[in-house]
Amino acid sequence: MADPANDFIRDYQALAQQSWEAWTRQFQQQPAANPFAPPPAPAAGNDMLERTLAGLKGYFDWMQAAAAGNAAPSPGADWRQQLQQLFGGTSQPFVQAFGGIDSAGAESFARQWQSWMQAARHGGFADLAATQGPTPAFGLSREQQMEQQALAAALMASVQATARYQELIQRANTQGMQRLQGKLAEPGRQVDSLKGLYDLWVDAAEEAYAEIALSDEFRDAYGEMVDAQMRVRQLQQRQTEQVCQQLGMPTRSEVSSLGERLQALRREFRASRAGASVDHADEIVALRREVATLKRQLASASAVASAPKKAASEKAPKKVPRPTAASRSSASPRKRK
Amino acid sequence: MQTPLRIDPAKAIADIAAFQRKLAAGMGHLRDLREPEYANTPRELVYSEDKLKVWHFTGHGKATAKTPLLIVYALVNTVWMTDLQADRSMVRNLLEQGEDVYLIDWGYPDGADRWLTLDDYINGYLDRCVDVVRERHGLDAINLLGICQGGAFSLCYTALHPDKVKNLVTMVTPVDFHTPDNMLSHWCRRMDVDLFVDTMGNIPAGLMNYVYLTLKPLRLNQQKYIGMVDILDNPTELENFLRMERWIFDSPDQAGEAFRQFIKDFYQGNKLVKGTLEIGGRTVDLGLITQPVLNIFAEQDHLVPPDASRALGKHVGTTDYTQLAFKGGHIGIYVSSRAQREVPPAIHQWLRQRD
Repeated sequence: MADPANDFIRDYQALAQQSWEAWTRQFQQQPAANPFAPPPAPAAGNDMLERTLAGLKGYFDWMQAAAAGNAAPSPGADWRQQLQQLFGGTSQPFVQAFGGIDSAGAESFARQWQSWMQAARHGGFADLAATQGPTPAFGLSREQQMEQQALAAALMASVQATARYQELIQRANTQGMQRLQGKLAEPGRQVDSLKGLYDLWVDAAEEAYAEIALSDEFRDAYGEMVDAQMRVRQLQQRQTEQVCQQLGMPTRSEVSSLGERLQALRREFRASRAGASVDHADEIVALRREVATLKRQLASASAVASAPKKAASEKAPKKVPRPTAASRSSASPRKRK
Repeated sequence: MQTPLRIDPAKAIADIAAFQRKLAAGMGHLRDLREPEYANTPRELVYSEDKLKVWHFTGHGKATAKTPLLIVYALVNTVWMTDLQADRSMVRNLLEQGEDVYLIDWGYPDGADRWLTLDDYINGYLDRCVDVVRERHGLDAINLLGICQGGAFSLCYTALHPDKVKNLVTMVTPVDFHTPDNMLSHWCRRMDVDLFVDTMGNIPAGLMNYVYLTLKPLRLNQQKYIGMVDILDNPTELENFLRMERWIFDSPDQAGEAFRQFIKDFYQGNKLVKGTLEIGGRTVDLGLITQPVLNIFAEQDHLVPPDASRALGKHVGTTDYTQLAFKGGHIGIYVSSRAQREVPPAIHQWLRQRD
């Protein structure tokens, strides 16, 4: 027997899905045809676009699922159970939102991890290193074997550290749900729209996340995850550099080393130039002192020489001389300087 | 108990349909929009060195302030947050108040800048920028406005070169990096920074942005874009939104050595408030800052918690210390309409009384 309500929902979902796909297709379209423009990227598998829209699509999927299955509570239904269904599925926005940015940050790393792990397995070292720890190596390829084992061990450590971090993220999600229930249970609280419910859930989930993110456990897990990823990356870089050296190509370490020396030289140059100007300044100060001393000596010698004349003039009637331009300026030698 | 969920199925369907309609209608606007420009307040280049540039904003009238103001921005993100859009430009507002404004644009570091240290930035670049402005105005000392990490740099600089700074303004500046609500500090406390920088070299901007997004993952990675759907049919609002997106994600890499030192000494060691910080072999003593200080912080700042900024009052040596709390967040303090009304006039008034 036909169920008009369910048929409507199904039809609507199909329509909505088509609309979403149409929207993304439209977003991907090139504007006006430009004969000099590179060919457009294929619509399918447009990784950047999918990543950009992941959060938005997560919300959209969640709204559809909620509308189709759960937004019409039957009288007397347990709203807590209904809430779990709304936010517990794979389309729940937390997975989309947090999973999106997390994978965006770690995606290239994950891809690298898979290829390196595969290469290590071919060599037969990855499993050994992971299960039994490093085994002694010997022969011509000893160094390569050791490095391969170290990389395999670092990869495993990184996977474990990331899992520990993800566990805390999942805990934040669970606690966010509990907080949401608490908020909804507050007296007088009523939610009458999907958007209203979503916004309330975001508040609850962010509060729970912030509490966990500020815990010592999270701090340790975060540091461990970053360090583990860096160890893997460092070992990968080392192996890449060895390949570059064999091919006669400059490596990043060499370029970086040159940069370090250049920066040190620039500092030395600036310091010596500043030092030279300080030396000049000292010399100028010393010369000024010498000139001042000489002036004082000259002034006292002049005073001695003019003393008899002064004594003689004191007997003559007093006459106030008018200052000349020369005497005015000589009275303030410092100002002239 | 009565259910708090009162979502009418018909309304839910209608909401989804409305969401779809907004998306579809907004598509045209989104595709037609060009890359949003910043305010681009008229300016002249007065100094450049490596990738750094010092801009002098010319404005429309003559500055009434006797002492020029040099803005020292953070190394993370670009300096154009201070001149984001015509009606939300801190620089433009300061000019209108009568300030003579200069700005250091640090540029985009690349591999050649990998070995720049904090000494190179503070006693090198910053000192030479200050000298350029001092010489242009024939002054012994100028006013500094340090923003976020640039505020921490300005504090170090003022403590090390006190004769060259007349008044110091700090905005959303972290001083005490170990307040309990500082999430960034908390996360990097246990990581091996030496391993991190030795491996990464310069720190990619994308990685920095990723970390900032994870401070509030749901709000910043999803809820914000759901909100964008509501403004898709409003070209002006959409352009403003996209301009902010441009500023957020068009950000520079971090020079490796400077990053290493900043994380180790500031975030992990909290040496600025402990008095054990050394830049270029000299100890940075905040107690030696005797210039007037205006410290502005944002009450809802999730990057630099208010207490991290408030701590400055306990550590500077000046007797002329003013603190201003702004009702908003780390970004709103530059671009919100409240900020336009409150922040530049407050800075100008404070400086004018000390000009």
